[in-house]
Amino acid sequence: MKQDWRTAVVRGVIYLLLGLGAAITLTPAVWLVAATTKRPDDLFHYMFFAPRLSLSNFRDLFHTVPFHRYMINSIFVASTTAIVQLFLSSLAGFALAKYEFRGKRPLMVTMLATMMIPGQVVMAPLYELLYRLHFVDTYQGLIIPGAVSVFGIFLFRQSILQIPDELLHAARIDGCSEFRIYWNIIMPVSKPMIGAFCLVSFMGSWNSFLWPQIMLHHSERFTLPIALNQLVGIYQQQYGMLMAGTLLSVLPVVVLFVLLQREFVAGLTAGAVKG
Amino acid sequence: MVLNTSDPRPKIPRPAAPKSQRLPLAQRVAPYVFVAPFVITFSLFGAWPLVKSLVLAFYITNGPKSQVFVGWANFRYLLADPDFHKAVWNTAVFAFWSVFLQLPLALGLAILLSRPWLRGREAFRLIFFSPNLLGQVFVGVLFSVLYIPQYGLLNRALHALTSLPVIRTFGQIPLDTKWLSNPALVMPAIVLTSLWMYVGFNMIYFLAALQAVDRDLYEAAIVDGAGPWHQFLAVTLPSIKPVAIFVLVTATIGSFQLFELPYLLLNNTAGPNNAGLTVVMYLYDRGFQIGDLGYASAVGWTLAAAVLLISLAQMKITGAFRGTGE
Amino acid sequence: MRSFPFGNAALSLLILSILTGTWLATHAPPRRTATLVFWTFASQHYNAYLKAIPAFEAQHPGVTVQLQLVSNTALASRLQAAMLADVDVPDMVEIEISSAGTFFRGPLKDVGFLDLTERIHKSGLWDGMVRARFAPYTSRGHIFGLPHDVHPVQLAYRRDIFQKEGVDVSKIRTWDDFIRVGRKLTIPNKRYMIELSDSDPSNLEMCLFQRDGGYFDPQGNCIFDNETAVQTMLWYVPLVAGPGKIGNNLGGGQILTKAVEDGYLLCLICPDWRSKSIETDIPRMAGKMALMPLPAVTPGGRRTSTWGGTMLGITKKCRHPDLAWALALYLYLDKPQLAQRFRDTNILPALRSAWDQPSFREPRSYWSGQPLGLLYARLAPHVPFQYTSPFIATAKAKLGEALVACVQYYKEHGSAGFEPFVRAKLKQKADDVRRLIARNPY
Repeated sequence: MKQDWRTAVVRGVIYLLLGLGAAITLTPAVWLVAATTKRPDDLFHYMFFAPRLSLSNFRDLFHTVPFHRYMINSIFVASTTAIVQLFLSSLAGFALAKYEFRGKRPLMVTMLATMMIPGQVVMAPLYELLYRLHFVDTYQGLIIPGAVSVFGIFLFRQSILQIPDELLHAARIDGCSEFRIYWNIIMPVSKPMIGAFCLVSFMGSWNSFLWPQIMLHHSERFTLPIALNQLVGIYQQQYGMLMAGTLLSVLPVVVLFVLLQREFVAGLTAGAVKG
Repeated sequence: MVLNTSDPRPKIPRPAAPKSQRLPLAQRVAPYVFVAPFVITFSLFGAWPLVKSLVLAFYITNGPKSQVFVGWANFRYLLADPDFHKAVWNTAVFAFWSVFLQLPLALGLAILLSRPWLRGREAFRLIFFSPNLLGQVFVGVLFSVLYIPQYGLLNRALHALTSLPVIRTFGQIPLDTKWLSNPALVMPAIVLTSLWMYVGFNMIYFLAALQAVDRDLYEAAIVDGAGPWHQFLAVTLPSIKPVAIFVLVTATIGSFQLFELPYLLLNNTAGPNNAGLTVVMYLYDRGFQIGDLGYASAVGWTLAAAVLLISLAQMKITGAFRGTGE
Repeated sequence: MRSFPFGNAALSLLILSILTGTWLATHAPPRRTATLVFWTFASQHYNAYLKAIPAFEAQHPGVTVQLQLVSNTALASRLQAAMLADVDVPDMVEIEISSAGTFFRGPLKDVGFLDLTERIHKSGLWDGMVRARFAPYTSRGHIFGLPHDVHPVQLAYRRDIFQKEGVDVSKIRTWDDFIRVGRKLTIPNKRYMIELSDSDPSNLEMCLFQRDGGYFDPQGNCIFDNETAVQTMLWYVPLVAGPGKIGNNLGGGQILTKAVEDGYLLCLICPDWRSKSIETDIPRMAGKMALMPLPAVTPGGRRTSTWGGTMLGITKKCRHPDLAWALALYLYLDKPQLAQRFRDTNILPALRSAWDQPSFREPRSYWSGQPLGLLYARLAPHVPFQYTSPFIATAKAKLGEALVACVQYYKEHGSAGFEPFVRAKLKQKADDVRRLIARNPY
């Protein structure tokens, strides 16, 4: 009996702590949503929601800048980056997992090294190079330098290693080309990892700031982080409008995450835990 | 943040195939084709600029038109520049708190969430992780408004909290506490924000690691008479060691590259008295804003060297190279 | 029907990519064929120019002008990046006074802007404009920017509260008078006499200019640790920190609105451009606000200073420099427009003869019936000089650091040992700038 009572208290405390943590975590998000629905005059008069709701912030936002265009830019760049990275990285990961070849070891060491080196080292000459290729201020300039994700390569290598070799042997006996093996056997089995990687890749590109800031000059091609930063710079005190922009900028990723939650957790941790 | 899922154990080489089992051409060529995209993009967009920036580091430039060779002058100026010292200090302070506040919190949350009887685990997981989805830029914009003195959410909440009867005796937090314009509070504000963003993220790793721990080990420990705390030390910690090392190294590397969060939080500035200046911000400001790409390269290389050294040291110290077999 | 081998996640992303890609391809913005591309960072200027440009295009058939609004911080870096990469450099740019100098960094021949010195002299603007306003845009004797404004500074105050408290504004002639009144009216945490920042050097620098101090001398030497600067800092810090504090700063926008409405801040430092922001952001105070000239440092001294500024530069990439010059003169000096422009922005142009227009003398109901333009125009000729340098941005940042350090010291130690501290700190920060200047091979 005593044991039950004590256990109940402990469990209660744990739920309390978790609840507190959740509340703290969610409060800024709730504030954000509330801020977008308040009239600019009311913004700081009420802590969260005001008695009168208004969509004026969104109206101002779309009226002031072509925000829909920035959203489409971001969606395009992020989804294209994710697809390209998915394809190229999984291919390389497959090669590293299921093949032996000369130069494999040095290649893997090189890949590892690139993950340790901060990207900022190469920003200046990379910009110059992209200028010569006429990639400055273009979508290609954003997507192509990052077309292969080393993180993705290792992620897929880890997960493809789990696939039994017999499957490949059987396929080869059936006369499958190496690429068909990849396309029809390896990939369908790796769907959870694909889901996880797509999310990570999409997110990384979506939230990317420094490189697009340097690359993009014309506002038509701005992605959301750059556009929002510019908005803050010019209209820094129209908090309601800025919060509306912020909310719209984070919504797509949140939605994507909710849909891909399970794959994400499974895929991500598979690499780290089993490694 | 760049994630690293490297496999630190040395690869055991497979014995070479005997001549009679030589692989068909397609199988021998395929891997080269498959890794070709990486090799090409890396050579073009990785290796070449890397080399070029090493060369550039010895010049002072005013754009592509004019370059003046200055030998080690960039590095000498860099090491003597009080602003760079400030940036390094800020970055180091941030990295320190990132590791020693964030990781224990993440582990703690993960432990709470790993209770087998817990209901709503997925919901909690989603909630705690969600801040990470927002990205440093948008979190920076949001929090720059939350930190506003007098009328912002944080000050109102803290003031209300510390005005409660019992807590009040410890001191009230004034309503007009200036977070982002008070040099002493800028870094705490940044650390706080990054806690909000990343604790959930690291928690996910710890949670998965905890859930993968062999139950039998716990049984054995309980049989040996170990209480919860001893179970933690003897079973939990060693079992999650690989993940912990991974999280430690990635968190450190990530915190060295801190830029967007303070940059957006402080509205494209380094904050009062450079309180929010980080090394990457310093690089961006002195390189791309002023136009001295040579200096930017010098700073970049210094950062890269530091990151490499510290990551290697961390992995050595925590025994990542010694293999995870206990 | 085989399902997509990569799964639904990848499939949906692929579809998104194709959909958005197609939308972008079909909604590509029209090719840029404008004759002149003009960047500005101030939304007030942007809106005003948008209205004015059609008339210019009508006068010059076949000429199109494309206006772009870029945020201030982004403009400096974007322009720098554009000039460095020779990509998409605009033809004309408006640049803010605190970053203009950074574009004069390299050898004179590499400065990205056209030397306007001759044009300015030939068109009579050298005599017609307020002379002090050329200095911030001049490097090594060459003028690279056309001044947009003068930005004389006054104080905007809550006339109704002053009246209630029995304050006679005409008796406040020097800063000593002002501080005396301020100490009486200030109630800590409830009401502050004036909005002054203890971290942002803009207010401090304005006071420095008023005393004929500054960041650099005409030769480009760093001077913000000279005697004037030390005295200014010694005087300023006790106003924003410590027991006698009469100045506080919370932020702008809706925060400021609330602060002014609540009577939390009684006076605001008000250059001409800010008066319009105040009118727009704090509409509920209409009729309750008024303007008074800046208190003088010494009796009979200068009753104004300056804050902010914009120059118009024509880049060397411009293929039609004469046309650009014509547009510049049109936007800045075309008399008929200026009247309406003044009503829209409250900004005094740098051309003295423009101030004779009737619209400048109109009484403004927001400001309790005061003739806003006249008040500023009277002060404009006395605006102090500011000299620039490629390191102006760093100098400003360093002064800010010095300010913060001095405020910190004063909060902890009061006036004990304060003067030697200020002297040493200013010298230290100025030396940082001097080291940067010495490193410059150009």
